Amino acid sequence: MKRKSELVVPLLFVAAAPLVVYSVQRVFLHTPNERTMGTAFKIFFFHVPMGWLCMLMALISGIAAYVQLRRRSRTAGAVALAAAEIGFLGGLGVLLTGPIWGHATWGTPWTGDARQVTTALLWLVIAAYLLLRHFGQHASERLAAALAIFGAVNVPLIYYAVKLWKTTHPTTGVVAKLPPEMWATFWPGLAALLLVSFGLFAIRARQLILAGELDEAYVRLEDSRA
Amino acid sequence: MTPIAPPVLITGLAFHAEPPPAEVGDYVPAVGTSREEKEILATLEDKAAAKTASDYQHIVWAYGILWALFAAYGLFLWRRSARLRADVDVLRRALERTEAGGGPRG
Repeated sequence: MKRKSELVVPLLFVAAAPLVVYSVQRVFLHTPNERTMGTAFKIFFFHVPMGWLCMLMALISGIAAYVQLRRRSRTAGAVALAAAEIGFLGGLGVLLTGPIWGHATWGTPWTGDARQVTTALLWLVIAAYLLLRHFGQHASERLAAALAIFGAVNVPLIYYAVKLWKTTHPTTGVVAKLPPEMWATFWPGLAALLLVSFGLFAIRARQLILAGELDEAYVRLEDSRA
Repeated sequence: MTPIAPPVLITGLAFHAEPPPAEVGDYVPAVGTSREEKEILATLEDKAAAKTASDYQHIVWAYGILWALFAAYGLFLWRRSARLRADVDVLRRALERTEAGGGPRG
């Protein structure tokens, strides 16, 4: 019989499946076009959640990396790495869909505004963290953890970039001002994305913890043979 | 003759005032938009508005990229799981061999 914790991941995907179908059919069939941007505005319904996912995962990764540094916890290290991978995915998603949307509405994929630049910076920091964790020597884990913390500190900067500097992005209150029919499309889409992402995150974190335990078991076995 | 009040006189002067003389060679005749040009412009604007309201190319690309990213990551996780399972099997066999051979010496 499976442990209760092992049922969490399948439950996340089972809960996400109808939400994905519902949100996609709402985006394409039931959500009206925005008056000036037309169909291109519909990118918003997954572009913004991907941005939020990237920031959330960068925060989780930074906090876990801090715990890893303080307590030398292998589990925290696994959580930080898994969160960074999902954050990398979210960042890549937002940095690819943003220019597509920008090309359709601004006439240019990249305006170099504050939110774009800070998001790109966070994504590069996450990429550097992942490279260090995957290819660095054992001692580089501390440097990698510091990078993850730096990434987490960058998150409020992305959020407030539209208030601090001139930007082509809308202000922070845009989601709250959505009309009801767009509101009803946005939240199920966000929920679906978060459920899928946390499912993948849980799988990856468990894989990393298991890989660490396997390494230890091999070392003990070799020691016992010596 | 009716006397003209000063404000009316000033207004009248203002209406009859000539524009300041242009420098020689500065004169540019005002050219209006012809009816044909206006019709072409209106047609183009209508076409652009219709395209904005019905062109799903951008959104299909954006969603396609997102789903491809998640599918690729799912595949990566699946392959990692398979490799881990293989590693566990190798370890299990190694442990069984060690136990069959009289257990660890250390």
